Amino acid sequence: MFLRFRVFRVQAAAIWVVMLAASGLAQDSSQTAHNDVVIRNAVIMTATHGNIANGSVYIKDGKIAAVGKDVSAPASATVIDAGGKYLTPGIIDSHSHIALDGDVNEATSPITPHMMMIDAFDYQDKAIYHGLAGGVTTSLLLHGSANMIGGQAIVIKHKYGANRDAMLFPGAPRSIKFASGENPKRVYGSKDQLPSTRMGNFEVQREALVQAQDYMREWDAYNAKIKSGDKDATPPKHDLKMEALADVLRGKLLVQIHCYRADEMLTEIAMAKEFGYKLRAFHHALEAYKVADQLAAAGVGIATFSDWWGFKQEAWDAIPWNAVIAMRKGVKVAIKSDSEDFARRLNQEAAKTMRYGGATEQEALQMITLNAAWIIGVEDRVGSIDVGKDADLVIWDGYPLSSYGVPNKVFIDGDLYFDRSLPGFGMPHYKEGM
Amino acid sequence: MRRNDSFSLLLEFVLAALFLSVSASAQQKSVVLRGGKLLTVTHGTIENGVLIIENGKIAALGPASSVKIPKDARVIDVSGMTVYPGLIDSETQLGLTEIQAEEMTNDFIEPSDEIMPHMHVYDAFHAESELIPVTRYNGITNAIVAPGSRDTLPGQDSFVQLAGKVQGDFLLVRDIAMPLNFSGEQRRNQGGFERRKFPSTRMGLAAQLRQTFLDAQDYAQKWAEYERKKAEYEKPNSQTAAKTDSSKPDDKENLKKQPPLPPKRDLKLEALLPYLQGKKLVVLGTEEANDLQAAVNLAREFNLHFVLNHISHSQSALDYVASLHVPVIVGPIYEDPKPEERYDAVYSLPAQLNKRGVKIVFASYDAHNARNLPYQAGFATAFGLPHDEALKAITINAAEIWGVADSLGSLDVGKTANVVVANGDPLDLKTDVKQVFIEGKEIPMKDRQTELRDRYWNQ
Repeated sequence: MFLRFRVFRVQAAAIWVVMLAASGLAQDSSQTAHNDVVIRNAVIMTATHGNIANGSVYIKDGKIAAVGKDVSAPASATVIDAGGKYLTPGIIDSHSHIALDGDVNEATSPITPHMMMIDAFDYQDKAIYHGLAGGVTTSLLLHGSANMIGGQAIVIKHKYGANRDAMLFPGAPRSIKFASGENPKRVYGSKDQLPSTRMGNFEVQREALVQAQDYMREWDAYNAKIKSGDKDATPPKHDLKMEALADVLRGKLLVQIHCYRADEMLTEIAMAKEFGYKLRAFHHALEAYKVADQLAAAGVGIATFSDWWGFKQEAWDAIPWNAVIAMRKGVKVAIKSDSEDFARRLNQEAAKTMRYGGATEQEALQMITLNAAWIIGVEDRVGSIDVGKDADLVIWDGYPLSSYGVPNKVFIDGDLYFDRSLPGFGMPHYKEGM
Repeated sequence: MRRNDSFSLLLEFVLAALFLSVSASAQQKSVVLRGGKLLTVTHGTIENGVLIIENGKIAALGPASSVKIPKDARVIDVSGMTVYPGLIDSETQLGLTEIQAEEMTNDFIEPSDEIMPHMHVYDAFHAESELIPVTRYNGITNAIVAPGSRDTLPGQDSFVQLAGKVQGDFLLVRDIAMPLNFSGEQRRNQGGFERRKFPSTRMGLAAQLRQTFLDAQDYAQKWAEYERKKAEYEKPNSQTAAKTDSSKPDDKENLKKQPPLPPKRDLKLEALLPYLQGKKLVVLGTEEANDLQAAVNLAREFNLHFVLNHISHSQSALDYVASLHVPVIVGPIYEDPKPEERYDAVYSLPAQLNKRGVKIVFASYDAHNARNLPYQAGFATAFGLPHDEALKAITINAAEIWGVADSLGSLDVGKTANVVVANGDPLDLKTDVKQVFIEGKEIPMKDRQTELRDRYWNQ
């Protein structure tokens, strides 16, 4: 429960020493080898086109090359018999703060869009392994919610035991974290600074966006002068913070907004319209069920908890039917963890939507796969078992959307990264002390 | 608008009386749950069963073919449903919080001192909490309410039922047990050496506990001494002697025959006495194997009657745990493993304990999420705990540990009718609880959250 407040705990970044020491390690050759694998005899839950009983998946070069009752694969391919177990896409966590060694919030100014989470990425954090063992293959690592505009996220694959750069999701779009409500209010209010109210929150955000518009105009004017042959024109100052905000206004960043209350979601939608940028998703969004029509009309998704509530005032109206009500009204819905704990059992959190509101099996599965991929902007790459997608797959012991489902094997880009039946940590690529 | 005040008053009175008599007769009437699958917990599963509730108790149960349904009974068809005893959460903070981040709504712990056995959660228990209907909506009917764990002796637990008209109805057993926490968390060691205060180490905590227990023993002795003197004074022959003496006011003997003065009462030490006398249960909370053994030794030193709590990172000492022959409140199993532990080190703890013959129970250790108690039990089965043992761990085992198995924890004739009707496996996430009975009363399946749902669902 206190995990929610963890994001405000600033810790020393002692991990740098470790990272520098480890950066010289050679990458395990098995992770770069071109895999050629067939998984047979599985109940395939595709997440896009229903289930395939007694199905097979052919994996080649890290991608799903074929899916179906029968697939043709070369005789040389390694065969894995799933023994009738369920096979799902790798789980995707669209809201995580793991592997940042406590460097979640640069809580010294409410506008810090130039903070890059990559600079804090602690690729050796065991939380990556714990998520992997829970079937998570991709996570969006976000800045915290202390600031109205926080930093820029990274998307990782849970290849625990690989080196730092091999864990980054290649080509994933950039996301930026916005926040609202109680957290910025509390963080800056407690220092007697702006913002300490919701009025202050939105003013600070609007002010920053106005500055970014001015900054863009200055550069536009300068570029126009250069174009017209004015060789004496002096360039404006390069400003990292303004560059980042300009990219928001240019639509180059996916805007992910921490937001609990319905009225604040509507204000954020209005502000995005005013400044001409687009919102990707509201995170937490526990009152989305109150304004689901407006969210659907604005094309904004939500990344929400299944049944978490009451941990603070702005979570008091949370109801476990939130996800399904929003989905039925046309909102793209993901269930996310925002916690080291939930990240290990997102399948269970998704299953709750089948009980609270009657999501179908595929709808529930999509909330932690395809829809979560959409929130991150990688839905064409991962999130379902379809030909051409990354071979991020989980074989389950038990039925995944139940109390009893536990990953048996987890593949990322076709490579086996977790196997429950192995002794020790159950990770073929990982050795203690790496 | 108002036609005739006295008339409408009369009408209201008549209606109210009518309503009361109707509901009173409905109460008296037997309620029959017919056609369900009965998970009795103590004597197996009965397919197509019948369960009869009368006067708040389970009056009969068995296969449909063998149970006679009373003539005027209200029969509820529960075919296709599962019927099981109300679930028991062996540690919650229900009634001690409303909105966790709003400090004014929290009554978890008195941090001013480590030794606070005279704190009684019943003094804070808020029976009208919105969290309680949310929790019972998921089939949890009873719980241990415990204070927070920042103190070694934070106060005394109460055993509650999650329904009633007034606070007193909820509080079934006040001061049922006392937590003793020894996990390192209780050390006053925050903020560097200059800000530390005693006890800032485990040594300090243990010394403080020992001294407190010795003080309590001395205190008990003082009272025993007093009681002895008082009894002597009140003996008929000594009273006669006193009377005779009073005739001689200057006699020195007279002073000796004054009634003895009672010692000054000390609520803190007084609270400890039933525990030091082994009359009540101490809940020994530890995490790692070293703390576990230190705490057990201390408990033995003072002959405490104890159960274990948490032991989440004591995997290396499970045979030792089994050798103690005491039950364990295990988990929560969602506790993160230590970096050196395998991912499932804590998940598998219930199965590992069960395999060694240790009686286990589960607890949510939470308030808002207490409703998810059954899923923790279910998840433990994925790591080897048999399903029936998992169900026992949130029903009969808990009732036994807390000394209420004569009335709770299973579907048996004569027990309190805390009964849950659901559309499937009680431990699975997809199962929807349809009806909860507490003391035989049908609990309205409504809470703050269903009201919000209904207000917005079709808007």
